Amino acid sequence: MLPEIPLSMVQSGAVVRISQIVGGCDDVKRMAELGLQSGTEVEMLQSGSPCILRVGQSKLCFRQSDILNILVNTDET
Amino acid sequence: MSVDAPAQTLTVALVGNPNTGKSTLFNGLSGIRQKTGNYPGVTVEKKHGTFNHHRQKVNLIDLPGTYSLAPRSPDEMVTVDVLLGRQANEIKPNAVLVIVDASNLERNLYIVSQVKELGLPTIVALNMGDIAADRGITVDAAKLQERLGLPVVVTQANRRGGLEQLRETIISLLEKPATAADSPFPAEFREKVDQLHAQLGKVSPDTPRYLAERLLLDTTGYLEKEMLGGGQDLHNWIVEARQSLAQHGQPIPAIEAISRYKWVQQVLEGVVTREANRRVTLSDRIDKVLTNRIAGTVFFVVIMTLMFQAVFSDLVAGNLMDGIEWIFEQVAGVVDANLADGALKSLLIDGVIAGVGGVLVFLPQICILFFFIAILEDCGYLARAAYLMDRLFSKIGLSGKSFIPLLSSFACAIPGIMAARVIENRRDRLITILVAPLMSCSARMPVYILLTAAFIPDESYLFGLISLQTLVMLSMYILGILAAVGVAFTLRKTILPGETPPFVMELPSYKFPSISGVLSVMVEKAWAFVRRAGTLIFAMTVIVWALSYFPRDEKAAVAPFADEVVQLNADLETANEKEAIAIEERLSEIQNEVDGELLRHSFLGMAGHWIEPAVRPLGWDWRIGSAAIASFPAREVIISTMGVLYNLGGDEDEESQPLRETIKSAKWADTEENVFNIPVALSIMVFFALCAQCAATLAVIKRETNSWRWPIFTFVYMTVLAYVGALVTYQVSALFLLN
Repeated sequence: MLPEIPLSMVQSGAVVRISQIVGGCDDVKRMAELGLQSGTEVEMLQSGSPCILRVGQSKLCFRQSDILNILVNTDET
Repeated sequence: MSVDAPAQTLTVALVGNPNTGKSTLFNGLSGIRQKTGNYPGVTVEKKHGTFNHHRQKVNLIDLPGTYSLAPRSPDEMVTVDVLLGRQANEIKPNAVLVIVDASNLERNLYIVSQVKELGLPTIVALNMGDIAADRGITVDAAKLQERLGLPVVVTQANRRGGLEQLRETIISLLEKPATAADSPFPAEFREKVDQLHAQLGKVSPDTPRYLAERLLLDTTGYLEKEMLGGGQDLHNWIVEARQSLAQHGQPIPAIEAISRYKWVQQVLEGVVTREANRRVTLSDRIDKVLTNRIAGTVFFVVIMTLMFQAVFSDLVAGNLMDGIEWIFEQVAGVVDANLADGALKSLLIDGVIAGVGGVLVFLPQICILFFFIAILEDCGYLARAAYLMDRLFSKIGLSGKSFIPLLSSFACAIPGIMAARVIENRRDRLITILVAPLMSCSARMPVYILLTAAFIPDESYLFGLISLQTLVMLSMYILGILAAVGVAFTLRKTILPGETPPFVMELPSYKFPSISGVLSVMVEKAWAFVRRAGTLIFAMTVIVWALSYFPRDEKAAVAPFADEVVQLNADLETANEKEAIAIEERLSEIQNEVDGELLRHSFLGMAGHWIEPAVRPLGWDWRIGSAAIASFPAREVIISTMGVLYNLGGDEDEESQPLRETIKSAKWADTEENVFNIPVALSIMVFFALCAQCAATLAVIKRETNSWRWPIFTFVYMTVLAYVGALVTYQVSALFLLN
């Protein structure tokens, strides 16, 4: 299994699975409310800052600094 | 329900995630019977609507779109307070209508799970089935209803589908008692909540259980501060309860998401089926291009250019504006022909018709701009534009979300400032509000148009593609933008420092804009503008007119010319055609002298003379100074004031001779030197581009920030900026353009 990397490092077009979200309680919960939690599959539609992620059926924009705390597994693509 | 039953008013609150079609559904249900407002003290928009069904009146409260009912800020608290009946001036809802996006139920049911715990009768509107189908997703609504234990109504808000059934279901709720909510949380957690609820009950007996639960879950400390005001004993109890739960494998920050998503999964098991392979939708394909760094940016520039082209071109706006101008000319003509000379006629023609007409003439441009903004918003493009703009905006310490408020401000700062409500972060919202009035709104256009048309040479470059006049106009818009960038950056670095907040924004699927929705937005904004013209600007024009008309000592003004006028009138009777023309000319000259004298001694004239030393370095004479003073409450007033100052008493020629010709030939007192020249025109334009001359905007800033500090701050900084800008513009351009 490859090591975890921050979601912000994922390239456009890649589909990855969130392994964990680290950081402040509130940030983690906000992410969960948006549908991002460990186990969620996300697709990086446009990398960079801001980036566009597909989470479930929705497209969400995040700045790079905001998804540094989201760690993903890269062995699923 | 029997027809004879006493009418009981039912209040239903609408909640749901952003972009689920909630507002469209609200509009569909309530039709035209709605009103919007603000909750006191916070910038949460409140929308109320009503509908009647089988003689039953139902009130609707549309709450802002939210992903969760976890209050972490005063704005989010309002939503929860409304639902719990704790919001002052708001009736406790009898029921909740949750709107969910059928294509995205996993996330949308999260808030359903929270709403269920409020203990209110709840209906779920399953919306956007078309988008789900488009993505190969099918939802078994009957099964969902059974699993949720709540009525589920399939709706298609954009086509008004399912509304009748939804109304029926809402009414039928009257007959059913609310069902007790089943919590998705584990037993240990529920026990702690019950204990906390009991403890809170000792202090304030009517605290809802939901708030006790939130108190335990909210680790930001916001709710604790809000509800307990720093009570130490309960704080310690809560901290201990959290620790004990964590030891039992139920860590507080995670437990809510874990429990609710587990519940969501159970509910959706077998309810939602989707094709094995994700379909690439049309939205996805469009987004590939429109969110691309290069192609997307090119498209953005093209769209913005087209939009402003449509706003400023003669083809649409120009012709409509000519039409409006023509109507006011006709009205003025009728008044002129039917009223005797005197104060009333002067008030009507020079005050009311010139002032209100001068403002209403910009209605077509406002309509066109809002028409475009509404279309772009409705089809989902504005979110992409905000995404593209974020890179730029983040450099000055704002987010892409500020783009929409600032774009709206080009039409009018008032809706722009109100649009800043979409920005969750308080500091971002405040900065956006403070710089929004710098965007060149349509009220500045009259000044730009009048002065460029009169003073900027009609030259073009690049084979007629670029005209100098357009360039000057454009540069005023750019000046406003640059000033906004500078001010935002400075505010961020000085009085409003802080970390850049997380930026999260959802990109909705593209859809065809609804014509009725777009038109209703346009009409709403246009009507607000007309109302403003009819009230504030009307009142200001009358005041300015009165200040320039009184105190009127006609005898004293006429006295020096009395003998000459008598002689000229006598000569006129015997004069031949050629002599008559000369006599008439002299008479009109005298009239202008008299009018000038009257004006110089009017209240406005006195004020103008008083501030002349301050405006001389800007190249202005006392009349421009007076006009600038008069336009502090509303900058549109400058046109009518200029009309009054330079045209009053200007006989029949007034209507046929455009103002620009008159000001072009205005002379400094007792000299042949023109008052207006290019540097003066530029300095006036810069002053108007940067100054906060709009009482309504300042009032909206007061309302949105709930403090007098920010409107005063805005007024001061913009006035200083305007003065310095105009001073530099005049002095520098005079060096190059005047000998």
